[in-house]
Amino acid sequence: MAVQRSDQNSVAGSRIKQFIKSLNAAWFTQERIVFAIAFILFAAFSVSLNGFFSVDNLINLMRNVSVLGILGIGMAIVVIGRGIDLSMIAVMAVSSAWTLQLMQNGHSLGLALLGGLVCALSIGVINGLLIAFVEIPALFATLATGIFLYGVGKSTLLDLDVIYLPENLGWFEEIGKGRIGPVPMAIILCGVAMLAAYLFLSKTRFGRFIYGTGDNPLAARITGIPVRVIITAQYTLASFIGFFAGIIVSTAVSAMNTRIFHSTMIYDVILVVVLGGIGLSGGKGSIRNVIVGTLLIGTLLNGMTIMDMQYTMQNLIKSLILLGAIILDSFLHPRNEETAQQGDI
Amino acid sequence: MSDTNQPVIELEHASKIYQSVYAIEDINFDLFPGEVHAIVGENGAGKSTLTKALAGVVPLTEGRLILEGRECNFNNPREALEAGIAMVFQETSLVPTMTVAQNLFLGEEKFFNRLRELYISAQQFLQGLNFGVDPTVNVAMLGAAQKQMVEIARAVLHNAKVIIFDEPTATLTPEEKQHFFKLLNDLKEKGVGVIFISHALEEALDHADRITILRDGRHIVTDVAKNFNRDKVVQAMVGRELSGKLYSKHASTKRRPRGKKILSVENLSMQNIVKNNSFSIYAGQITGIFGLIGSGRTETAKIISGVVKRDFFHGGEVYLEGKPIRYRVPQQAMRDGIAYVTEDRKIEGFFETMSIADNIYMGHLAIAGAGEAILSGKTHDSLAKKWINILNVKTLNADARVVELSGGNQQKVVIGKSLCQSPKLVFFDEPTRGVDVGAIQEIHDQLNALADQGLAVVVISSYLPEILNLSDRILVARAGKIIEEFSTDEATEEKIMYAAVH
Repeated sequence: MAVQRSDQNSVAGSRIKQFIKSLNAAWFTQERIVFAIAFILFAAFSVSLNGFFSVDNLINLMRNVSVLGILGIGMAIVVIGRGIDLSMIAVMAVSSAWTLQLMQNGHSLGLALLGGLVCALSIGVINGLLIAFVEIPALFATLATGIFLYGVGKSTLLDLDVIYLPENLGWFEEIGKGRIGPVPMAIILCGVAMLAAYLFLSKTRFGRFIYGTGDNPLAARITGIPVRVIITAQYTLASFIGFFAGIIVSTAVSAMNTRIFHSTMIYDVILVVVLGGIGLSGGKGSIRNVIVGTLLIGTLLNGMTIMDMQYTMQNLIKSLILLGAIILDSFLHPRNEETAQQGDI
Repeated sequence: MSDTNQPVIELEHASKIYQSVYAIEDINFDLFPGEVHAIVGENGAGKSTLTKALAGVVPLTEGRLILEGRECNFNNPREALEAGIAMVFQETSLVPTMTVAQNLFLGEEKFFNRLRELYISAQQFLQGLNFGVDPTVNVAMLGAAQKQMVEIARAVLHNAKVIIFDEPTATLTPEEKQHFFKLLNDLKEKGVGVIFISHALEEALDHADRITILRDGRHIVTDVAKNFNRDKVVQAMVGRELSGKLYSKHASTKRRPRGKKILSVENLSMQNIVKNNSFSIYAGQITGIFGLIGSGRTETAKIISGVVKRDFFHGGEVYLEGKPIRYRVPQQAMRDGIAYVTEDRKIEGFFETMSIADNIYMGHLAIAGAGEAILSGKTHDSLAKKWINILNVKTLNADARVVELSGGNQQKVVIGKSLCQSPKLVFFDEPTRGVDVGAIQEIHDQLNALADQGLAVVVISSYLPEILNLSDRILVARAGKIIEEFSTDEATEEKIMYAAVH
């Protein structure tokens, strides 16, 4: 780039204007835009909707999105590493349902949890091996393993679509049903998971390696980062988080309905991550983006539920918000040949 | 070219601003029919922006574009092409899965598009230009020079009055280069105005009618090529006399003697790219490896540093300080002290979303022990400070993103990322490709310093003056193996080139 000179008064004025403009563009990241939209929505709902701005409803709102937030963490880790995991919902549903099924079949809680965990982790490892070593695109690998796991679950592991939680499990039930003061355990667990993921991504070497792998896998390999190990680990981690979310859901409602696999939940998870501003091209974003994305989706879903809006209409609005945020971002950060990055979507 | 002629294209007081910084500022430029006009300058001098403005790829912020006396305003490259200005990009803009003929007529096809007709007219047209390209071949199968021929043919087909080449010779072999400049002469005789950007100053001096030199987005000088010589051009480009004269073999510096034998390679083979390659590398000196593209020199370096694997059977042996090695991943090589600095920093060099400091820290983390599983801000900052200082990376702070730096500074960061792993053997693959003249000297100084410190430095380059100037020992690669070794006393450009092409 050319050196900036400031010896011409006539140009100086326009320079300052441009500087302010460039400052604004840099300030308005997608994360901030989405946060602003969430805030405006929140304010609008508070004023216009009866019963929105009450402690009960707000806690309810947070509890409803806490599972989405937890799943968002797993997805975020994978997306930062330049991948995507479409099998998360299948892992969440089948692994936790199998835990319940094992308990139904009379096994101990510990053994049942171990079974569910092994089920989840093995799918994660398979995802990782397929993507890192066989070099199948993440989109296809995880789509296939998700459908596979659901099929195995329905055909052999599980008796019914809905598996119920046996009663009198004590502390285990507290995971979904418990409260600390007025705050449901699910929210607290979501917060803890986010804090842990934040520390993992930004303060550990492993976290840095995920960013490096997502940013430029070739450079990461040449630099000496064990790229294949990192990729395998990130899918395993995502599956573990899926299992964790599944346990929260099944203890909260005392059952796991495996038909959730057929819902649009996986798109909601991707929506949270992409809306929050984690680029699909990898290497960008942090847990902050997940929080922002979760808040927006939570506010929106809650408000629309109070308004008694139809499900189809809700999806329509979600899609428009996503498009809006991405379009606004591309206006504020126009991509030309100078700023374009390799693999940018 | 005569002065009575009207220029075919002119820029008056042209400026382009990217994010409040002038990429080019108040530039006047003209091109006459039948003239070859070279544009030279350091990286970031505004050459690409200038030519892109001419070709309608980027709109000017200020100034006028005058085509044959009329003021024009192109909104996109297509309008410029229709007006007779064609640009041949560094990355070719051909569709690789289509045949040559399909590419030639892309966008011009008739409603009923018969391949046979297409091939016949393409064949006639290509023969008319005396281009030896088969119109039925897929573009993906062509070499760089042939692709360029197709691009040129396409420009001629569109009756271009002006053809702009952005670094046309960067990917060509010497013979291909000669052929290319012959083509330029043919175009010239047809009355086409040619603009080309080049990093190789000799090309501009030998083949251009006029040369325009840019620096920091401003116009420095335009004059007839005969009035220039190498020193004058370099001086105008960098705005100063280079202290140690670049690429001039200074006899005063003593060549470093061989140190300990660090690496010995025996019968190394990989598919048909590297064949029975044998050589040794010694510590405390710079070994230059010269070879044309496709001679297997990059692949050899990559095999030794674990980036690619040699053949499992009959793949040969590699000994590092007498110990046989075979790496699966570069990390293992790195831990043994072998580093490879890539020739293509954008694709496999740096992390573009990260800062300078993060990039260098990443190199350190990759070989750090288990004790550093938790990041340390202190190490991060001190490493960045140390290497920015040593390599003289020009940046305001260590947190600037690498993509915002010029090519030379990016290269320095990539080098720093490898050097912070404290290797004993470093392969520098084309260390100064796409690097501006000032930074080339600094990188060369750095390489010399490394060799003086006792490291084994290997420089792979297809630029002869660089090899001659830097090396204490010169190896020449051809067709997958090292075929000749020269001491610097006996080496001349002719001898090396003769060995490389034979």
